[in-house]
Amino acid sequence: MRAIELGMTNCHVCNQVVKLPKHKGEGTVLCPRCGEEVHLRKPNSIQYTWALVIASIILYIPANVLPMMEVETFAGTQADTIISGVIYFLETGSYLIASVIFIASIIVPITKLIILIYLLVSVQKKSPLHKKKRKKLYVLTELIGKWSMVDVYVVAIMIALVHFGGLTEIKAGDGATYFLLVVVVTMIAAMQFDPKLIWDTEIQEKRETDAGNA
Amino acid sequence: MAEKMVCCHECDELLHIPQTQKEGRLKCPRCGTVLLRQKKGMVEIMYALSIAAAILFLLTNYFPFLSFHVVGNTSHANFMTSIVYLFGEGDWLIGIAVLMTTVVVPLIRIGLMLSLFGPIYHGIIPPYTVLALKVLSHSLPWAMLDVFLVGVFVSMVKLVKMGTIVPGLSLWAFMVMVFVMAAMQVVFDPHPLWEKVDERRRQKGMA
Repeated sequence: MRAIELGMTNCHVCNQVVKLPKHKGEGTVLCPRCGEEVHLRKPNSIQYTWALVIASIILYIPANVLPMMEVETFAGTQADTIISGVIYFLETGSYLIASVIFIASIIVPITKLIILIYLLVSVQKKSPLHKKKRKKLYVLTELIGKWSMVDVYVVAIMIALVHFGGLTEIKAGDGATYFLLVVVVTMIAAMQFDPKLIWDTEIQEKRETDAGNA
Repeated sequence: MAEKMVCCHECDELLHIPQTQKEGRLKCPRCGTVLLRQKKGMVEIMYALSIAAAILFLLTNYFPFLSFHVVGNTSHANFMTSIVYLFGEGDWLIGIAVLMTTVVVPLIRIGLMLSLFGPIYHGIIPPYTVLALKVLSHSLPWAMLDVFLVGVFVSMVKLVKMGTIVPGLSLWAFMVMVFVMAAMQVVFDPHPLWEKVDERRRQKGMA
């Protein structure tokens, strides 16, 4: 039995099972235990998630093109983007660090966006396939999201430590700001998606067969 | 009736909590998500861990984090002074992000855990329990100490080539704090606390 069939759901904060009134549009329902707003499904989940996914794809372009970090020495200024930073580590033989940065700054955000787009499309097509696997993918996006922050932290630590007057100065590039926004926006996008929508195809099927029988 | 039921937050499956089940996990039969943990001794462990985390937090923020020497020049970085430096450089967006995810949110979480599990351990359910649990639920994804630790390792490798890096006491405290906070997240189970809130509400209703 699924809760939606009884017009029930769980409060997303305290997990209390709440029964919602049959007639919509009578204002918001508040959880009797913790007072948080309760909805059968996150409102406008698909639209919001799409909007945030598209926004983060757009932000991801300047995040990669613009430099993350600018190192000023007496010999001149050296600007590093995400990719050139990875290449630098590969050339100097720090393969472990190169792969950490590559995974955190490139694989994680792209994987997350691909998974979210796949989930959105499959939910909109009401696909009945691979529900359990799609649920696992969703849990994965929530889990890996914050790990993209590694590169932003590296830039912040470098700026805080390396400031020797005119000798060497490190500055954050605009790419770092855009990349930070990518991380935050994709995290909010994953939060906006309602995983219950993946499993909602069954009620749809049931309603259709009921209508067919009547 | 509603009190003995649980609804899966991933797939919307509605199930009754078995009366016989006092301990152990309850998994969703449809999608496999762990719905209840019901671990024995949760309050005691959480109380101990939050005291440890609070002490480690103070150590982390008081002592120098990293020192960096390059030909006659030395710079020390404290947790807070580094963030202040970021603001001074005009990188305020990055500064805010680092401040929130590595200082403010973890501090709020440790403080709330301590002020929840301290009184509960001594048998008192504090009046701010609902608010505290709500803030804990919303703030979870924004605490990123573990990610910051990886960032520290990466920057150390980068800086080793430029000069000498000396890890401060704060770094060691920070590393232990990351593990303590990870352990807290594994043990923490808000369900029994919400049940205590329910109990109190029922008693008030009767009186």
